Amino acid sequence: MHGWIGKILRVDLGTGKVSTEALKPELARDYIGARGLGTKYMYDEVDPTVDPLSPANKLIFASGPMTGTFAPSAGRYDVVTKGPLTGTIAASNSGGAWGPELKYAGYDMLILEGRAAKPVYLWIQDDKVEIRDASHLWGKDVPETTETLNAETAADAKIACIGPAGEAMSYIAAIMNDMQRAAGRTGVGAVMGSKNLKAVVVRGTGAVTVADKEAFLAAVAKASTMIKEHPVGGTGLRLYGTNVLVNILNSVGGLPTANFQDGHFETADKVGGETLAANQLQRPKGCFSCIISCGRATKVSNPKYKGEGEGPEYETAWGFGPDCRIDNLDAVVKANYYCNEYGLDTISMGGTVACAMELYHRGIITKEDTEGLDLDFGNADAMVEAVRLTGLGQGFGRKLALGSYRLASLYGHPELSMTVKKQEMPAYDPRAVQGIGLNYATNNRGGCHVRGYTISPEVLGVPFKVDKDSIEGKAELVALFQNLTAALDSTGSCLFTTFGIGAPEFAELMTALTGFAYSGDSFLAAGERVWNLERLWNLKAGLTAADDTLPPRLLNEPIVTGPSKGAVSRLPEMLPLYYGARGWDADGVPTREKLSALELA
Amino acid sequence: MKVSYFALLRDATKKRSEIRGRPASTVRDLLRDLAAEYGPNFARWILKDGELAGFAIILVNGQDVRGLQGLDTPLTPESDVFIFPPLAGG
Repeated sequence: MHGWIGKILRVDLGTGKVSTEALKPELARDYIGARGLGTKYMYDEVDPTVDPLSPANKLIFASGPMTGTFAPSAGRYDVVTKGPLTGTIAASNSGGAWGPELKYAGYDMLILEGRAAKPVYLWIQDDKVEIRDASHLWGKDVPETTETLNAETAADAKIACIGPAGEAMSYIAAIMNDMQRAAGRTGVGAVMGSKNLKAVVVRGTGAVTVADKEAFLAAVAKASTMIKEHPVGGTGLRLYGTNVLVNILNSVGGLPTANFQDGHFETADKVGGETLAANQLQRPKGCFSCIISCGRATKVSNPKYKGEGEGPEYETAWGFGPDCRIDNLDAVVKANYYCNEYGLDTISMGGTVACAMELYHRGIITKEDTEGLDLDFGNADAMVEAVRLTGLGQGFGRKLALGSYRLASLYGHPELSMTVKKQEMPAYDPRAVQGIGLNYATNNRGGCHVRGYTISPEVLGVPFKVDKDSIEGKAELVALFQNLTAALDSTGSCLFTTFGIGAPEFAELMTALTGFAYSGDSFLAAGERVWNLERLWNLKAGLTAADDTLPPRLLNEPIVTGPSKGAVSRLPEMLPLYYGARGWDADGVPTREKLSALELA
Repeated sequence: MKVSYFALLRDATKKRSEIRGRPASTVRDLLRDLAAEYGPNFARWILKDGELAGFAIILVNGQDVRGLQGLDTPLTPESDVFIFPPLAGG
């Protein structure tokens, strides 16, 4: 095979059995890799009603065919499992250099099964695979774990690990790789913790082969040029990072503020990308083979929040900033560092602190509940301390580690959790931008922006502008973006490449790389297949159309101030149109005809 | 009229925002004045062949001019104008 290595590594942590198996070419062609292929294996091998934190759940690290090639910004992998936060199929996507290393070691995917009797880590050197004792690492944070493992394996080995949050099985725990990159969403870190698996360390000396070198070179050159020459992909992301979005979202009234009580924050500029670039930014940083470099290597010299690391992304700056009514960027960056060090998802952490602040502000919880923390909106010190406590599983942090839905439910107010399918929504208010609300509601992993990023046409005007306040055409737009992203994620490419290239260019790259003939349409069809398979999994897991919704606040309480004042989400009007556009019945179940057309029946 | 600048346009203008003493009557007039004042480092992100560059974002009182009358969108002395170069993120 070309592009794919053609081999899967399977490790049973319970018995210690290590085995390899061949990847079937037609399965690879139809589900591509990473998110798609991992989901196919989960669908075939794991009962969707499984307890996500039980040994029966599996944890799959999956690269894509483009991962580790020199295609632009193609260094990603997915962690596929049943997510404990959402109860849905989870695929958390991460960059860095870990995914390519797995392929150089000779594997497209690593499937982990069972549960180790005591803490262990996995050490993969090409075809030599060892399960090693990790009792000396248990309790250590991500930087210390990474440094220790590099010292006792190989200095240039690539490491994916959990911090204390994953060990404690926090529902919002991430898996961190290359120290600073996160497979963040849906609580995948807790699954790793449930398996007593502290880290997966990989060193590979192999390569990825290409079906048609000349055609691949030409396709890579074309795609790279299109991304570099595109006004949004080529310059802005490198200079300002994703956090440049704070000001535009605030300016259109779509920046969720104070746990989504409002859509506009007066001093948002203080936590935006321009402010970061002028103060904390040390240099831009890119993942493997990246030509965009949106990553932020940053430093805070303010003694109160002193530190060095990476971030924040836009979602993070918003979550610890405006969503908590905080405009102190040093504090926001410090909270981000704690998440990276302890292994927490920044979006869910930010949303959970914001929810706790609303509970506190309304008097539903008091200092007695928070064990002394004055956790009101605007208190930057309390926010940073809340994140630290969550990471370490101490004090009120033990409750925050449940995520906002379970936290708010503990106190009888689940409606104050700004989640979809129990996962915290990101930094775009669905009342101000109609399409993104439909995407949140229907997203296969709950509140998530990256799997149907309609902000691009609805706010940024890329590749074309649509009216953010209108619901016309949004069902089709959301379905199209979801399908494209499902295919793109499955290749191992970064979503940001779509600021320069689309399905036809991906089809060209994939055809030259793998030797299978993809067209723009068949590439999108693969994405639609993946989306429907994820939907089938979720339905079997017990989710229904009733879960395709938004918090009642967004449907009933208008935005209070700013340019989108008075707006609510019109989800109830859009949802039936979306089911129709998807070829699903009125209950959101894919029809036999649709499944048959996608070769899923 | 208040005009606010973002991202690369802050480098080009050396300003976050300014009050324009001589208000323009349309977005087109305003951009023409600004291009003359701040030069090619401003204009290259905003205008192309005299029209709005593909991915530049101009908001008047929070509304994207692409949903209003584009460059012909009228302005008043009370208008609050936000000008963004092409942006991406997520």
